Amino acid sequence: METIKNALDFSDSPRIDLTIAGLVALFLLVFPIFPHSAFAMATMIQFLMFSLYGMGWNTIGGYGGQVDLGKAQYVGIGAYTTAVMLIRWDVPFWISMPIGMCFAVIWSFIIGYPLFRLKGHYFAIATIATTLVLKDIFEVWDFVGAARGLEISPIKYIPPDFLRLIFKQDVYYYYVILGFFFLGILYVNWFRRSRLGFQLRSIKDNEDVAQSLGINVHWAKVKTYAIATAFVSLVGSFHACYIKNIEPEDTMSLDLSILIALMAMLGGAGSLWGPIIGAGILIPCKSYLKEWLGAQVGLVGIDLIIYAGIIMVISAFEPRGIWGIVEKVRRRKRS
Amino acid sequence: MKTAVRFGMVVLGVLAVVGLMVPSAALAAKEIKIGVIYPLTGGAAAAGRELRAGAELAAKIANNVMTDISMDMAKNSGIKNMGGAKIKLIFKDHQGNPTIGADLAKKLILDDKVDGILGCYHSSVTKTVSAVCEQYGVPMINGTSTSPALTKRGLKWFWRTTPHDKWFTKDLFELLKGLTEGKVRGVKAVPKKEIINLASACEKTEWGSHVSDIIKSLAKEYGFKLKKSLLYAAKSPDLSSEVRSLKAVRPDAMLFASYTSDAILMVKTLKAQKAAPKIIWGQDAGFEKPEFRSTLRDSIVGILTRTVFLPKVAQIKKVAGQVNTLYKKNTGNDLGGASARAFTGLQTGVHVLEKAGSTKPADIQKAANALKIPGKELVVPWAGIQFAASGDEIGQNVLGSGLIGQYQKDKDGNLVLEIIYPFDVATADMIFPFSF
Repeated sequence: METIKNALDFSDSPRIDLTIAGLVALFLLVFPIFPHSAFAMATMIQFLMFSLYGMGWNTIGGYGGQVDLGKAQYVGIGAYTTAVMLIRWDVPFWISMPIGMCFAVIWSFIIGYPLFRLKGHYFAIATIATTLVLKDIFEVWDFVGAARGLEISPIKYIPPDFLRLIFKQDVYYYYVILGFFFLGILYVNWFRRSRLGFQLRSIKDNEDVAQSLGINVHWAKVKTYAIATAFVSLVGSFHACYIKNIEPEDTMSLDLSILIALMAMLGGAGSLWGPIIGAGILIPCKSYLKEWLGAQVGLVGIDLIIYAGIIMVISAFEPRGIWGIVEKVRRRKRS
Repeated sequence: MKTAVRFGMVVLGVLAVVGLMVPSAALAAKEIKIGVIYPLTGGAAAAGRELRAGAELAAKIANNVMTDISMDMAKNSGIKNMGGAKIKLIFKDHQGNPTIGADLAKKLILDDKVDGILGCYHSSVTKTVSAVCEQYGVPMINGTSTSPALTKRGLKWFWRTTPHDKWFTKDLFELLKGLTEGKVRGVKAVPKKEIINLASACEKTEWGSHVSDIIKSLAKEYGFKLKKSLLYAAKSPDLSSEVRSLKAVRPDAMLFASYTSDAILMVKTLKAQKAAPKIIWGQDAGFEKPEFRSTLRDSIVGILTRTVFLPKVAQIKKVAGQVNTLYKKNTGNDLGGASARAFTGLQTGVHVLEKAGSTKPADIQKAANALKIPGKELVVPWAGIQFAASGDEIGQNVLGSGLIGQYQKDKDGNLVLEIIYPFDVATADMIFPFSF
């Protein structure tokens, strides 16, 4: 009960933040009611998925200061668990999804325990290496379709199927991922003020001091890493049902790992709203630039140049991301 | 006032005359929107440019009367049975990403209201896009993806014009067998033990991994020894370790399935490491792109690639020569395997629409399943186009076939692809053994 109360407690956020958050939440709830294109809907679903990925990354990367560039392996574990269980044994999404989260958490303990002996860049490189190794294993593992991956048959299930999460209209997927999105915000809100959340922030500030205060630094990192992976694995399971086709190159790529970290860093690592802001800017930017400019004769590739330009400008202007800019403005107003 | 009334009557009169002069069909003409999803950026962008040019040329011929092209599609302006409706292509870039491909397919179907979809080159993207088309009951024609699995899923809205990799790879083994039997033009029978050891390296997505599996099973079937079989990432910036691994088994023939940038890198690395196989064979794609030729130049003389179109085909088929001339005028390059198949894919769509006489999906489905295009209509050297409507390969064109070409120098010193297989249409002696 106390946990729920803490999760719903946003009293430390300024009123203006809460008003904007409330308006955004309202917009997200009513968005499908208003006329919209299929492309806008797909973009919104991507935004919600990447917000959740970012929230997961933010726990260990933002609050804990551990730059993790290997999140795609957990997307893969979640996606493959759901796809394999559905295709081979007809297990519904609502059962395979938590199982996938358990597998991801177990794997995170297995690799997290030795990996957190490393620090800084060494840790970041090690997370990349573990993802690549797992991806290589999946690419030759016939049970999970090897490099060809798995496809949830487009003709086997009759939509709408709420148990297996097979829908024809994207609006169903939208509300499912929106539900997870709200739960994710509440969880992170609880987490950042939990004992573990405070421990992590002290570890981020100064690991030696944290240790001298009696915090088990290594164990705190491993536990938070597991929490982060659970988030990412959940979205991976959703991805399998939404796209209905998964393969290592798509779901476990280094590009995806970097994109997840980029969203959170650009929005503002270590803040509640940062990953959402990052995804809210980068995902529509990426999608619509590609849509408007991507296939134009003589302009092929210009969307990617503009997209990269936006990222570079934000990073150069404020390395702590957009949330850093907001805080800077607030500090100036106060002083 | 009087003048104004008189002027108004004259205008109405002119409009009435013009109205009578314009055929009713033209008034009824509408636009047929076809969504085309290709990789226009990323590692396969070079292929994307070719594919786009091929599809655009087919649309241009379909929309205009071109008396100098000997194909039915060029005789009419637009779709004759639909009042001359014009084909409008809406291009999208999937970047080689299956998720992006699926999102674009939804956009094309729900927002742009396309009547059909053409694409997508990468088999992995074709898989997700065809699943979306199946979900919404929108026809999809695939001209360039060759993973055999695509037509084994029992889809009702998916038709593939190109032969798939099982057929193409079988051609390679027939060539190897032919070498041992002395059937190859310009080469005396080679003892099997001299070419028995094979090694393969394929990019590791849907397409490459399928090719790898097919090579394994056919090597066994034809009695060759596959000493090494590896998968690699097409985006890899360095292939040194892969090449070392291939060289280590001392293969007589090296077989590849690569996209453009990795095909170039692979050959460069093979040359740098002084690899010495007697045969290098590429499964089309990167091995046939103009960039492959222009970047590597003389070092590719003797390399074999499977394809469905070579400029030499233009000498055998009149219509291929006519279309090739137009294509070369537009792009500066000859038609290649990708562009010729993109052209044929859209041409098939035009024939289907002509037969259906409407854009209703059910009519298109019925027309596609009953379609038969004779080989003389096509730029590619196939017996024709006819889709399997039953069996375990629904939607697969059963009249397709492949070619194997070899890079050689012509008498003017230009790099050309000569036909080596099928043996009866070979245009030059095969260079054997290969050496850098």
